[in-house]
Parts: sequence; C-alpha cells; structure tokens
Amino acid sequence: MTTAAPASLADTRQPDSDRPILVVRNLQAHFRTSHFGVNRYVRAVDGISFDVRRGEIYGLAGESSSGKTTLVKTIAGAIKPPLEVVGGTIEFSFLPGYGGLHRAPPAEVARIRWRHLSYIMQGSMNVLNPVRRLRKSFDDFARPHIAGTGKQFEAAVIDHLARVKLEPSVLAAYPHELSGGMRQRATIALATICRPDFVIADEPTTALDVVVQKDVLGMIRGIQREIGSSMLFVTHDMGVHAWLTDRLGIMYAGRLVEEAATPEIFRNPLHPYTKHLIASLPRIGDDTPRKGLEGAPPNLADPPPGCRFHPRCPLAMEVCSRRVPDMIETAPGHRVACFAVNGSEAP
Amino acid sequence: MSGTLLDVSHVSKIFTRGGLFSSRRIVAVNDVSFRIEAGKPEIFTIIGESGSGKTTLSRMILNIEHPSRGRLAFDGVDLAMVRSNADRMAFMHKVQPIFQNPFEAFNPLKQLDRYLFMTSRRFHGEGDPAAIELAVDGALRKVGLSLKEIRHRYPHELSGGQLQRVAIARALLADPKLIVADEPVSMVDASLRMSIVNLFKTLRDDLGISIVYVTHDLATAYYISDRIIIMQKGSVVESGDARAVLSAPQHPYSRQLRDAVLLPGVATAASPQT
Repeated sequence: MTTAAPASLADTRQPDSDRPILVVRNLQAHFRTSHFGVNRYVRAVDGISFDVRRGEIYGLAGESSSGKTTLVKTIAGAIKPPLEVVGGTIEFSFLPGYGGLHRAPPAEVARIRWRHLSYIMQGSMNVLNPVRRLRKSFDDFARPHIAGTGKQFEAAVIDHLARVKLEPSVLAAYPHELSGGMRQRATIALATICRPDFVIADEPTTALDVVVQKDVLGMIRGIQREIGSSMLFVTHDMGVHAWLTDRLGIMYAGRLVEEAATPEIFRNPLHPYTKHLIASLPRIGDDTPRKGLEGAPPNLADPPPGCRFHPRCPLAMEVCSRRVPDMIETAPGHRVACFAVNGSEAP
Repeated sequence: MSGTLLDVSHVSKIFTRGGLFSSRRIVAVNDVSFRIEAGKPEIFTIIGESGSGKTTLSRMILNIEHPSRGRLAFDGVDLAMVRSNADRMAFMHKVQPIFQNPFEAFNPLKQLDRYLFMTSRRFHGEGDPAAIELAVDGALRKVGLSLKEIRHRYPHELSGGQLQRVAIARALLADPKLIVADEPVSMVDASLRMSIVNLFKTLRDDLGISIVYVTHDLATAYYISDRIIIMQKGSVVESGDARAVLSAPQHPYSRQLRDAVLLPGVATAASPQT
C-alpha cells in the first residue's frame, strides 16, 4: 500500500504490472429494510474476495438475483440506502489507502472518475441525455478530464469515435436518432475516451440483437487491448464470457463459488453449480439431452445455512448445511468453494 | 383427425403510423405462409431478431391482431370469422398463449391458484369444487408442480421458472391443440431454463400438443425444434427442417445469425483478434 497521495496524474499511471489493479477482500454489502421496527437484511454480497489484474478482462457470471449488479455497484461506489457496505475492503491501485470509493473524500473520487475509472452500463438510452446532442454529452462527461482547447478535444473525440466505427456526424445527432447498436457504441466511446485504467461493464450487450452484439463485443475487446485498460465485465450470458473474458468468476446467491481462467472454467468446471451451468448450454450441432436444475435460487433475505447451493446440489453432504466452504485453490489460478471438491472437511 | 391444424397463407400485416398527410407504412409481416398438420404434433420455431415481425406473426396466430392481407385458418375455421363470444371461447379452447415475462403475466396482488380455478371454470363450466381442484392439480402435475405448492401463493413467492410453469399449467387447463409461446425462456434464470425447454418436448411427445415457439435464441431453437422459419424484416428468408437449416444455413442472413451465436467451448479457439 503506498502511503503518500500521488503528486500528479502521470505518477499513478505507471504500470507496476505485478500488482493487481483491483483487490476486493471479504466484501459484504447488504440491503437493509425496516418494517414496523423489524430490520431485515438481504445479503446480496456476502464475503466476496477477488483480484483483477492489469490489462485483463475479468468476467462475473451468475443468474439474476445472484448479487452481481450489487457487487458492481459497491465497487463503483454507487452506494445508496437501503444498500450498505457492512464489511470488507475494495482497493484500487490508483486510489490507495481508503478501502473503497465510498470511503474516499469527494475530491479524490472526482480525481479518479472517468480518468481512471469509468463505466459502460446496460441501457445506453439511460446514459445519454435524450434532450442533448451527442456532442454535448461528450462535453458533459469528458471535457473536464481532458486538457487542451475545444478544437483539440473535438478532434480527439472524432478520432476516438472512429475506433468504434462511428462517423463524426453522429456528434450532431440526438440519442433517439441512432440505432441501439450505435448508441451502445457511443457509450463505449464515451467511457473510454479518457483512456481509463479500469472500466466496469454491466451487461453492456444484453439489450442488443445477436448480430449487433458480436460487433459491439469485438469493439470492446479491441479498445481494451489498444488502451490497455483492465475491465470488470458482468453478464449472465456464458457465451459472451467464453468469447470475451480472460478470467471468470461464477457467483451464486451473493457468493463467489468458482474462479479460474475462462478456458479452464469451460474445460474443467469443478463446482457442481458451474458444472451444471456449462453442461446445460445448448449447442448447435449437439443433440444430447440437457437437464434443468431442480429447485429455485435461494431467497437472500433468508438464505440456507452453510453452502448456499446445498439444497440443490447433487453432491451435498452433511457438512454442507453446517459450514460455509472457503474458496480454496485446487490448481494454480483455479479457486473453488465446495467441500465435495476440496475435501476440506476438517473442522 | 387428419388435415391441417394451422394454415397460414400469404399473410401480411401493415401498420400505419402518423396522420392523414404524413402517414408511414410499416410492413411488419410480409407474405408469410406455413402449415402445421393435425395429428402430427411438432415444435415449430419462428426465429428472428427484434423488429423481424415474429411477435406480430404470433399475435396473428392468437387472433389478437388481424392480418392486413392473407388468411389464417385454424382447424379449417377462418380466424376472421371468429367473432362471437362462443366462437372465441371455442378458439381459445384450442389455442393458448404463453408470454415472455411471467412476472408481468400474473397480477401481483392475486393468488396464483385463483387464476387456475377461474380458467378451469371458464372452460369446463361450474362444477363441484372437488372436480375443479382435481383438474387444476392434474394440470400442475403435468408441469412438475402440484396444487399443494401453489395454493394461496402470490407471484412474488415463486421463481421465474416456477411462474412460467404455472403459466403453462394454466394454458393446459383448456386442453389446447396448439400453444403459442413467445420468448418463453428469455426471462427465466439460466439454471431453470432447460427444464422449461424440456417441458415443451414433453408436451409434444406425451400430450400431442403442437407448439409455435418464437425466439431469437438459435441454440435452444436447435435443441427443441422440428421445423423452423427464419424471419428478417417481416419476410421469411429460410425455412425447413430445424437441424438442416441451422447446421447448414443457405441464406446470407441466416448465416449471419448463425455466425453471431457465441458458442461456448469452441469460442476460445476462435477468440477475437486484437
């Protein structure tokens, strides 16, 4: 952990490639609801630890209500009641010493926003102001972070738009005049114009058609490689993960259950939930019957004790309902939280 | 009974937008024809991206939307002739819908079993409550649930997969010959999706119900369909046996769709270029 605050922006950009850019340790974020004086906690993120290395795309997969959006919100510092961070730390390498955006002073957050940390969100229509032309949106978001004259800024924007294959003329357009794919490409350009160190992408292609989706994913990859950002990429679509991400974390009911390099997860899934998830994907040209998983995802206000997957797990043992399995490295870079896989039954 | 169950012949749907002087015509469905034979249950899939007209087509099969040109006939009856209440009831007896979002399909303030009882009374008349409960329980058992689990439950207490099963059970209460399912699994969690898809296979094989399955997901379409049509901007660009079409698509648009599917497993070999 570096002690002194960085003297200038240039200093923080020095690549110390062996240190991860984002370190999350034992993060717990709960929703608190209070009815008639009774407090209930929805444990949407419950003890998650992972690192994102420099220059990689880290994927987060999980079904709806597995807590992946809450995790992303917490990391991005968008914490509003009823969401509360109960414990754990989030360390960005460009924001050392605070333990998360929500604990950093506003001046520090303003310093890193967009310059070091930016976001690509799901509904591109919601990001772009519908009553402002695209040029104004670029001004609003990025102008304060880029030095130089207005002309230079505009040239930089046009140059950057070319990377996502958009004509300079879109700058004069309103968001509703563009197609969904073009809007999403514009938001990608908006999020990456300042060459941030870290980009958070939450389901950026879910609202797009399949044909457009692949193009947009290709552009995200291309830009990420070119400017050397790290990326946290969230989607429930395993096909997108297989195609895009370098490492993959699988979430189930607010916890990380498995993490490994993406090809490794697809080749050799260890956790029973991951195994099922991958085995149940239908493939064109493959007629073997697929099975659905029995039961339903748990209610996070009242999750089952021990491993949260055990009521649906084919390998469930007695210990699974008593204790929470730890994430244990079974092979280099491959961590799994499962007693049946790890054999870590010793109390 | 042999013959044609559903006959869609040269159907077009044109929406007009705008006023008297500056109206724009949007051709949502353009000259589509296909048939589903009676006595030979199958899963017939309509594939297309958003705006391809697949939902408009399915709404015309459900007789919610009326075609601008062409003719739809179900069991030999022209759908344009289905006007009176009695005719509509008879039609709904045979054709039932399943919608995309099970959370929106049910009123959140209404207990789920009441939907099922209402549907049962509607189609089979007022009977003694025991007989109705038996019918409802029977329909729920066909989809892997039971009345005991559903009784007095509200929609928010069930998962998306369970709700979608209740929606299917409700459709089954009418003893339909055809079910029109518009994107039935796109809102269902990944771990439950395949159980719904497998349920459609069971309905076809065990109950002899034909299913019109509307989707944009080529992988599940390949998994369950017997025949497919691929739609682009309202027109059918390719049709035929599902395996043949999806394994070796001929039309450029079908090939484009097929190539856009992100196949897990083979994907890492064909990773994007830098």
